[in-house]
Amino acid sequence: MFKMINLYPLKKFRFPVIAECVSPDVFQGKNQKEIEELEIWEGNKQKRLGELFKVEETRKEQETIITVCGDVSKVRRIGAYMTSGEITINGDVGMHLGEEMEGGKITVHGNVGGWTGSMMKGGTIEIHGNASHYLGAPYRGSNRGMRGGKIIVYGNVGNEAGAYMRKGLIKIYGKAGQFAGSRMHNGTIHVQKDSEGRVGACMTGGKIVVEGFLESVLPTFTIESIKKKVKIEEKIVEGPFYLFLGDLTENGKGKLYVSKEKNPQLSSYEKLL
Amino acid sequence: MAVVKAVTCPVCGCLCDDIELTIRNGKIVKVKNGCAMCESKFLSHKNEHRILKPLIRKNGEFVEVSLEEATRKAAEILTKANYPILYGWSSTSCEATRVGLELAEEIGGVIDNTAVVCHGPSILSIQDVGISSCTLGQIRHRADLVVYWGSNPWSAHPRHIERYTAFSEGRFQKSAWKGYLTKVKASAAKKKIESALRRVLFRKKAFVSPKPRKGPPPTLFKEGRKLIVVDVRKTRSAEISDCFLQVEPNKDYELLQALRALINEQEIDVDEVAGIPVEYLEEIADLMIGCNFGVLFFGVGLSMSKGKLRNVDAALSLVRDLNMRTKFVIMPMRGHFNVTGVDTVFTWQTGYPYAVDFSLGYPRYNPGETSVVDILLRGESDAALIVASDPVASFPKKVAEQLVKNPLIVIDPHMSATTRMADVVFPSAFVGIEASGTAYRMDHVPLPLKKVVNPPNGVLPDEEILKRILVEVKKLKEKRLVEAA
Repeated sequence: MFKMINLYPLKKFRFPVIAECVSPDVFQGKNQKEIEELEIWEGNKQKRLGELFKVEETRKEQETIITVCGDVSKVRRIGAYMTSGEITINGDVGMHLGEEMEGGKITVHGNVGGWTGSMMKGGTIEIHGNASHYLGAPYRGSNRGMRGGKIIVYGNVGNEAGAYMRKGLIKIYGKAGQFAGSRMHNGTIHVQKDSEGRVGACMTGGKIVVEGFLESVLPTFTIESIKKKVKIEEKIVEGPFYLFLGDLTENGKGKLYVSKEKNPQLSSYEKLL
Repeated sequence: MAVVKAVTCPVCGCLCDDIELTIRNGKIVKVKNGCAMCESKFLSHKNEHRILKPLIRKNGEFVEVSLEEATRKAAEILTKANYPILYGWSSTSCEATRVGLELAEEIGGVIDNTAVVCHGPSILSIQDVGISSCTLGQIRHRADLVVYWGSNPWSAHPRHIERYTAFSEGRFQKSAWKGYLTKVKASAAKKKIESALRRVLFRKKAFVSPKPRKGPPPTLFKEGRKLIVVDVRKTRSAEISDCFLQVEPNKDYELLQALRALINEQEIDVDEVAGIPVEYLEEIADLMIGCNFGVLFFGVGLSMSKGKLRNVDAALSLVRDLNMRTKFVIMPMRGHFNVTGVDTVFTWQTGYPYAVDFSLGYPRYNPGETSVVDILLRGESDAALIVASDPVASFPKKVAEQLVKNPLIVIDPHMSATTRMADVVFPSAFVGIEASGTAYRMDHVPLPLKKVVNPPNGVLPDEEILKRILVEVKKLKEKRLVEAA
């Protein structure tokens, strides 16, 4: 019943394309013809999926696998609300990838737009490029951020990654922008390189680990101790790390680990210990 | 010669409604009570930059055409477009904006107003945190502590201090202008003596750049109304204030958060925040808690510097925290005279205050995705209608380039930078001078705009022009439906 479906964009898109239908849950049980008939929006015109993408059905699989080959940086909401299956994208992809997804896996061999994994509840998103702003952050005005699952970015990310996060893991192998983990309640953000600052602003709980250079810690964080190592999901990361608690403004108990070795400018805090 | 009293000034968000105009032969010749910007707008409404006939660009040149032809051309462009944008609105009436929203829905476009390059982030934060605000009348009569953060009302909203805050005579609060005069005289005398001493006794340069103050000034502890200005540089407003806090550029967030912590009686690990010693901040925090009715006005210095919406988020949270201890309100210093009204009309019609995308047939809102600047930066739009705004002059260069690449329709009284790049131009009447309407003051109080003189012959108000375009768009759409059937 399950199969592998390849999608090839027929042209270079100029207008935003809203493609909520590109999801294993929707494709499941449909034949090629039915998939081509699915509704999709290009700018303010409603079209059929077959008008914008070449649909190719290949072999039978254990679960529905969708592969998108080509630049889909204007295509938004791919894999939104998905619960199972797999999407692989070979190229850049647009905003709201995997929004509110509950399960399954999305792999991107390229860069992703804003709000990737926004409000996700489960599953995994793996990005082998850079991610834009609001990674895993909620919709405007909402305070229910990421509630589970895993996002792994091998490149850099923009601002406000993991804002309002409640559960789950965001692992960033590159650099993170400003306000990573702002107003987060729980969950873990692991930044392996530098961060632009204001990390954990207004956080009330959860854990943020910065292994690279962090220009300054917000004045509303207090130093707690120096830790030799920190545990992230069964894995041990060797330090030493300064451990800050915050954010004082929200009476928060969030933990901010900052590498001691990479941040000599924070040594003035040591006299307070 | 006629004198018209109680005219509302269509320039800034203060919307002063005590202007007196003298009119002779259909022209305004004298303006009373207005600031320099107000006078300039009222006196120059019939200047040489006015456009008097609709224009269409043919072979690169503007050609004068009839209103019907221009309307037809505009409707054709808008109905053909796949992702048109409708931008501007803040300098026109609420009535025109309402028609604009209907047009946006009809053509499936993105409608956005100038809040996107000014207080848009403030709106996002207000949606996140909430706002405790009031009307300017309350502030005039009751506020005993006024804080301007990242705004310079002396230059940008010239009558704000005089009409609503420090220099206004309230029922329960006295004006502080006499104290200000004494202060100015004393400071001028002090400067003269100091420079004379430096020149004569020490043979040094007469002028030395002032050092930022590291402690609270004595004026902070005076009786009565107090004015605090927080800015990155000493502006004209800062000069008249009782206390000026010079914050390091892009450190507003840290300063606001530190103040919040101090107000919540928390200990801070560092000695200095954003270039200001923590002891000084403690004095400010005490003053804020100790006031009876405080108000914080914030400008684009907060909403458009590093941190954007999170800066405003911190300011709103600060006021929320202060309300646990005393009465404190907060208000954005809106720029254009009707930007508040436009946000209000957008909200009651669509549910969202700006950056509303109708491309899927229903309103969607996500600034960053559906905001005009970002859409243009990504090169996604294919036509634009600009009403009462000059984005070519005010947008970033790349964005403006993208805007003028596509068909551009402009409704404006003037030959502005945007009008010069347009394909279809509609001359319009000045709202508040040649056309009546409604505008909202920065505290959400609606005020009537008066028609005091007649517009030039054949020139219509924005609302009327938009209605005609809308009718034409509907006709074209119907025709297409019939053809398709």
